Amino acid sequence: MEVDRADGRTRNQLRSLACTRGTLNRAHGSATWSQGETKVFAAVFGPKAGMKKNENPEKACIEVIWKPKTGQIGKPEKEYEMILKTTLQSICLLTVNPNTTTSIIVQVVNDDGALLPCAINAACAALVDAGIPLKHLAVAICCCLADGGYVILDPCKLEEQRTKAFAYLVFPNSLASVRRKGLLQVEVEPVEHGIITSVTRGVMPVEDYLRCLERGRAVSAKLSEFLRRSMQLQAPSESPTAVFETHS
Amino acid sequence: MEAKPLDSPTSFVNQLVVPGDVVLDLSTMANQTIKLGGGLRQDCDSITVMKAGKLRFAKPNKYWVESSQKRGPSAPFNTFLKAQYIPCVGDTVLGIVVDTRADNFLVDIKGPVLAFLPVLSFEGGTRRNIPKFEVGVFCGILVFEGLELSALFRQTLGMFYFYRIVGTLLYVRVVKANTGINPELSCTDASGKAAEFGLLKDGYMFESSTGLSRMLLSSPACPVLEALGKKLSFETAVGLNGRVWVNAASPSTVVLVSNAIMNSESLSAVQQKIMVDRLLQRVQ
Repeated sequence: MEVDRADGRTRNQLRSLACTRGTLNRAHGSATWSQGETKVFAAVFGPKAGMKKNENPEKACIEVIWKPKTGQIGKPEKEYEMILKTTLQSICLLTVNPNTTTSIIVQVVNDDGALLPCAINAACAALVDAGIPLKHLAVAICCCLADGGYVILDPCKLEEQRTKAFAYLVFPNSLASVRRKGLLQVEVEPVEHGIITSVTRGVMPVEDYLRCLERGRAVSAKLSEFLRRSMQLQAPSESPTAVFETHS
Repeated sequence: MEAKPLDSPTSFVNQLVVPGDVVLDLSTMANQTIKLGGGLRQDCDSITVMKAGKLRFAKPNKYWVESSQKRGPSAPFNTFLKAQYIPCVGDTVLGIVVDTRADNFLVDIKGPVLAFLPVLSFEGGTRRNIPKFEVGVFCGILVFEGLELSALFRQTLGMFYFYRIVGTLLYVRVVKANTGINPELSCTDASGKAAEFGLLKDGYMFESSTGLSRMLLSSPACPVLEALGKKLSFETAVGLNGRVWVNAASPSTVVLVSNAIMNSESLSAVQQKIMVDRLLQRVQ
């Protein structure tokens, strides 16, 4: 059944994406990522010598600072910092620069739903801009359960507030490889079938969660394609915008 | 397996690659030695990409990832602090002395960690004639003491550290550079002679991107330096870590040369010549 979303999108349609890298002159890496009206700025400094307390000195350390648009920093911001830190730690190669710290500062410019996925995408693009060694990239998507029990992607703020439950999912990007596909499956599950992070709020049945995972994974391929293309258009610092549409 | 064409690695050469892409499969390339440059790592049998950029290949067997250094048309203020410098053996860099220890000087070379310069690695260096260098006060140590202070520091200044007292500027060569340990420097060349390394007196130092430094040091003379050299006399030292030092008889020449170099980052050879001609016309 077709559903009417407030802005006329279909169930699986994302808002228009825009990504610019290298926006800040003084940061080692920076990126802006916007999905519709939600816009987040990320800046990366590092790696720099020195470790925070209680951190393993044989690995690099990642520090995230979340700056909300207005208001003081409280518990929700600390939670976002923690989620971002563990997500980014799993995509960075931590043994290349041991005993160093890389700081990532995330500034919310506008919040119109799906804020954490937008921030993860921006932080990942900023890490690439800074040249920090990474295992692979991360693409993040928000899936929520609409009233009729079906899954909608990339909700805006109104939809997010009305929904019973939603999930933020982060997947590794789809990789290009010289290897033939047959070889990969014999040894171990391909990287693209993994999941990095899943944050859920609200109550949803297990089948709906699995459906969210499946939809999210399908869209993550398109998102990684967009990320790859946005790196090609680096020189004139153009921001490529894209509207994706996938029908179920 | 033998159906795999030998030139399949070239399907990625000169293409944009992102972190995670598998660009070479070593199981099909037995008995070949490959040299890996920056941005690539070996993961059992495959070579994967660590940094985004274009994959380059040089005969006979060198692969590396080149990240685009151009940043957009807003010269001259965009060449301030590009990416981090990763120290490599054999590079010549400009370092600032930040501290003295018993047997090492601690030198900042814009890398992830400070570098060590042994006090004896000067031409004719003995325990009796250790040079005395001015030490720059290193404010970066404060940054990890408290999270709030460091966040504020970074926001207000945008830079990670700055120097209150100017430390001595040295032109040095990287001798050892491994991950996890501080790089080691030397003020002599491989045979022990001074060869222009050491203290840089007077002049003016500015920071640029590592890409610009590489272009200035490229082997047929860089167009901007050649054009400037025809009309002006100056001396310059370029560090691969993104620092450039310029010295000339009069301050106005120093300013002119520095501005010309800073402006030349995103210009082609012809554009650089035109830019230099225009600058010189305005002065004379």
